[in-house]
Amino acid sequence: MSEPLLSIRNLSIAYKVGRAEVTAVDRASFDLGAGSILGLVGESGCGKTTLARSLTRVLSDNARIAGGQAMFMGRDLMALTDRQMNAHRWRDIAFIPQSAMNSLDPVYTVGSQLAEVLTRRGGLTRGDARKRSEELFEWVGIETNRLGDYPHQFSGGMRQRVAIALALALNPKLVIADEPVTALDVIVQRQILDQLKELQSRLGISVILVTHDISVVAYVCDRVVVMYAGRVAEAGPMAASLTEPAHPYTMGLRNAFPDLAGAAGVLTPIEGAPPNLMRPPPGCRFAPRCPFAQARCTAADPDPVDIGGGHIVACHRWAEAAALRVRSGQPDTWMAPA
Amino acid sequence: MNSRRPLRLRLPTHDPLALVGLGIYAVFIVVAVLAPVIAPYDPTEILFTPNYDLAADRRPGEDGFLMGTTTMGRDLFSQLVWGSRSALLIGLTAAFMVALIGSIVGVVAGYFGGWVDTILMRLADVAFGIPFLPFVIVLAAFLEPSIWNVVFAMALVLWRDTGRVIRSQTLTLRTRVYVEAARVSGSSDLKIILRHVVPNILPLSFLYGSIAIGWAILTEASISFLGFGDPKSISWGFMLQDAFASQALSKGAYYWFLPPGVLIILIVSAGFFITRGYEQILFPKLDR
Amino acid sequence: MKAFSAIGARVIQTLFVLWAVVTILFFLFRLMPGSPLAAYIDPNFTPEQQDALMARFGLDKPLWQQYFIYLGNLLQGDLGESFFYRTSVADRIFALLPNTLILTFSSLILAYGIGVLAGAYLAWKRGGAVEQIAIPLVLTTRAMPEFWLGMILLAVFSFSLGWFPAGGTRPPGADYPTLWSLYTSADFWRHMTLPVLTLAIYAQGLPLLLMRSNMLDVMKEDFVTMARIKGLSSYSVVIRHAARNALLPVMTSFAIAVGYQIQGNVVVETVFSWPGLGRELVRAVSASDYPLAQGAFLMIAVVVIAMNLVADLLYAVLDPRVTRE
Repeated sequence: MSEPLLSIRNLSIAYKVGRAEVTAVDRASFDLGAGSILGLVGESGCGKTTLARSLTRVLSDNARIAGGQAMFMGRDLMALTDRQMNAHRWRDIAFIPQSAMNSLDPVYTVGSQLAEVLTRRGGLTRGDARKRSEELFEWVGIETNRLGDYPHQFSGGMRQRVAIALALALNPKLVIADEPVTALDVIVQRQILDQLKELQSRLGISVILVTHDISVVAYVCDRVVVMYAGRVAEAGPMAASLTEPAHPYTMGLRNAFPDLAGAAGVLTPIEGAPPNLMRPPPGCRFAPRCPFAQARCTAADPDPVDIGGGHIVACHRWAEAAALRVRSGQPDTWMAPA
Repeated sequence: MNSRRPLRLRLPTHDPLALVGLGIYAVFIVVAVLAPVIAPYDPTEILFTPNYDLAADRRPGEDGFLMGTTTMGRDLFSQLVWGSRSALLIGLTAAFMVALIGSIVGVVAGYFGGWVDTILMRLADVAFGIPFLPFVIVLAAFLEPSIWNVVFAMALVLWRDTGRVIRSQTLTLRTRVYVEAARVSGSSDLKIILRHVVPNILPLSFLYGSIAIGWAILTEASISFLGFGDPKSISWGFMLQDAFASQALSKGAYYWFLPPGVLIILIVSAGFFITRGYEQILFPKLDR
Repeated sequence: MKAFSAIGARVIQTLFVLWAVVTILFFLFRLMPGSPLAAYIDPNFTPEQQDALMARFGLDKPLWQQYFIYLGNLLQGDLGESFFYRTSVADRIFALLPNTLILTFSSLILAYGIGVLAGAYLAWKRGGAVEQIAIPLVLTTRAMPEFWLGMILLAVFSFSLGWFPAGGTRPPGADYPTLWSLYTSADFWRHMTLPVLTLAIYAQGLPLLLMRSNMLDVMKEDFVTMARIKGLSSYSVVIRHAARNALLPVMTSFAIAVGYQIQGNVVVETVFSWPGLGRELVRAVSASDYPLAQGAFLMIAVVVIAMNLVADLLYAVLDPRVTRE
């Protein structure tokens, strides 16, 4: 991989909850190459959405960047002033929200919301903005005469396409998609993902796809970052990380989701729930739910280890991964966590 | 509005503004109860100085009149003190009637539904079409001018807001599991209403009733100011009418027409402060 | 299609309410104690003259017949004859209506202009020191008797300072041949300043509080966050998106406020001797001029009912989600 487009190093983000502070993202590190799709996976509350949103620097009032960097086009996004950051917003880094229904302003037509971005952020004239809007709608497969419609007049899938068109409006280098297909049914999910992938490779942009659904990652991504309880558990090329996962959490996730391509095997959920980050467990945060946990797992944090080809794992037992994979395939392994 | 757990009333101790409101109310209640003790004169008595001059238009402090006298020689301080009695009387009775009628209409309409609901809600539509103040004026003028007719006229129109809100609350209550269960097990409608519906709508009735207190006091003031009030009772609105008619404005007799207005503002805004506090308790969504 | 039938149903409901209020009015005025002609009849009239008079006003017929005569006359715009002025009530009412409407609308436009801006500003600066002072202050203006505020303004700006006239619409003796020449005169606006100010100070609280709480709600919406992620200027975020959305219910409330204000005008018009519907109603009731009181009441009720309808329709026009459903 050549010089990455985005390089995140030890990024931490904390929320103020009452008087206490919770570290929602804890020293996360990973790279994103130009022109690739990276899947950011984990259960809800693992910090993936916070991490993705932090790249736009629009966080809720009680959140703060507690440390680390995110190098993008040679600048550290986390160190920019708001004015400097604004130059990058939407022109370089665009965002596809989880629910386009709530993210589109209900009182403007989608055409005028596209025009707003194109003229106010892209400096286009009204006429050029109109042409560009039509082009964008053709890209995402919506008839151009629907530019005059209001958001509520579109179906869920169509709205998500509108959101994609909006995100691509200013030729960004990086698009962050936060659970872009979660609210849709499986067939529409596939159509949208196909579209996203096609546009991404045609335009050569990079995408960070945030999702809780590992089958979505398997379907479109070429790299994956698995997060658990605010930390990166495993990261690497899609093929290596998902066909040969080295972290027990990734193995568990793989068992818990159906295949988007349609092959339905036996689904085995991971017992228990992610820890409360107000009082994280000692050592490896996955240890309380891990069927392979040992004494050392609750004693010390596992350090991230590169096990070859950019495949990084934070697990004390990474060397035994092959054996654990075999055991993780058996449903009763997950029945009674150690 | 339709939170899952039943609403309960507590004193709004977390809201300083609401506590101030409760404090103001407490003071007014004490003054109203002790009016005969506090007021040095009968508020309608025409007073004379020791050398038999009419004590007219005395400024505050002059001839020992704490807040001055009217052109007719009546003591303003005594009128203010007695005025708190009529204000509270009007406010509380009107609020009680509004809350009572509104709650009964709302519960009956919401619980029984069907044509009962249709009729009652059309009645509410009509009540919304009646101009409130003109209606009270006409009724107060044509019936005998008395406090009770003013209260009656207000209640006849103002139940509409309470009725609508209570109805929609009752509608959601009716579909709840425990009401369904009580129905299936054969409890009578009255029993279900009293046991399951009323306790849940009571806080709302209370809220709307307390909003009506302010409305009633302001309306009574307007009615008395226009000369349609109860001639036998001294109210702050009556004092203002007296001042206006006696040219107190051109005489610059601020001591006459300023205090009644300030007292009305105090008692009505005290009500606002309290209900605002209760609103936050009842509808946490409003609390930001 | 659905929207059209909803609007149709709402219009039918409005007609029903109108009919009901008209009916209530009829019985309210007919069932009052005392003869409706008591104020009109000269004590020196002979019984024959009295009967003739009763017949002339249709009062000798049974009540239900009177009711239908009344409805029929109403449909022809005939509101009867004033006992006091001995002229057509309708003429009198329509001569006064413009005075009331201009007062109501000027004060509300002023109130909404100020209220909306201040409400948006307070939402922006939420939790600040301004809010700690402004909110109780606004609640206080809502707790004021309007006529008292009018009295204070009169005492200070008219009687003490002499800046503004004490009442009426024009100086005594000034003659304006048409309504238009009156309304465009400086005299008229000087006379209107204090009553408009009185009504506006009272009315600004509703749009202000409504705008503020709507803004606070809208600012939490995803599309406002998205506007920030898009790197739009804070002007765009706050005004184009947050305020534009928060404005919808506030605009709807304008129509409702017209209805409320026109009732409240009764007292303020009296304080400022403003020749409008409200003052006329008060005077007619005091003088037991039933036909005139009934007519003025009816006109006020029509405005209130019409504005309730306008509020609903306005909402449909302003909110694309309702219109194009």
